[in-house]
Amino acid sequence: MNTSSIAIASSSSKITDEELSDKKLPGDLAMWFFILAELTVFAIFFIGFAVSEQLNTDIFAQGKAQLHQTSGLINTLALITSSFFVALALSAMHKTQSKKAVYLILIAKVFASIYISVKIWEYLSLFEQGITIETNSFFTLYFLITAFHLMHVLLGMVILSFIAHSAWHDKYNNNDLSGFEAGASYWHMVDLLWIILFPLIYVI
Amino acid sequence: MQKNKSTNHVITSWLWLIVLTIASIFLTSFIDNRIIYVTSALIIVVIKGQQIVDVFMELNKAPRFWRLLLLSYIVLIPLIIAIIYLV
Repeated sequence: MNTSSIAIASSSSKITDEELSDKKLPGDLAMWFFILAELTVFAIFFIGFAVSEQLNTDIFAQGKAQLHQTSGLINTLALITSSFFVALALSAMHKTQSKKAVYLILIAKVFASIYISVKIWEYLSLFEQGITIETNSFFTLYFLITAFHLMHVLLGMVILSFIAHSAWHDKYNNNDLSGFEAGASYWHMVDLLWIILFPLIYVI
Repeated sequence: MQKNKSTNHVITSWLWLIVLTIASIFLTSFIDNRIIYVTSALIIVVIKGQQIVDVFMELNKAPRFWRLLLLSYIVLIPLIIAIIYLV
């Protein structure tokens, strides 16, 4: 091997090292295992719902017709927008603008509150019609899955509050944002789950 | 410069997600064929999921294994749902 080929090999290995060092998993590994576990549980719910619908097509068609599709749409837009503000907050943290990140998280929480309010309104309006978790198999799955998801939204809001509090007190530095990234990733997972849940329950 | 590019990417992705969500609602109003609207709605889920995984979760900057793991979820689950509904 001559000198020039050694130099080329050396520079290409440098590029590879740089590329490898750039490829970093956002947040903690433990949080990603938790996210995978949550996704697996919801996968079982999604498949269970689809199979039950095929076995009880009339009941599910009637049940879906009794749902308020616009509230499902508002909730989807609210969660997507909330996730958007969390992504912007992470961008702000990368620019060491921690106070701006906190304000963006507060806006994200306002949109999450819209989601929670609409979901509660939806439940109450169904209860007023005499519809409960025991009405039929559609509403059993509807209440179980959406309430389980709602619990994740509430937990996500607690996590967002925690990372906002830490960011406000400058507990993160630009070299280590893993705690902030882990919280943001959890919130995006909640959004990702609703992206699948929304068409499954309200659209198709 | 790179950070601004990343912020612009987040904004573009958010707009896409909003447009696709509204489009998925209109599918049921304008398409009568169940096979077409179920398939279209689930394809929209895959596109939206990819945006969330790659842009919001920033897994496009993560090791390939983790990105592919999450992307396989948002492809496989809609695919299984489509098989259950359409076969």
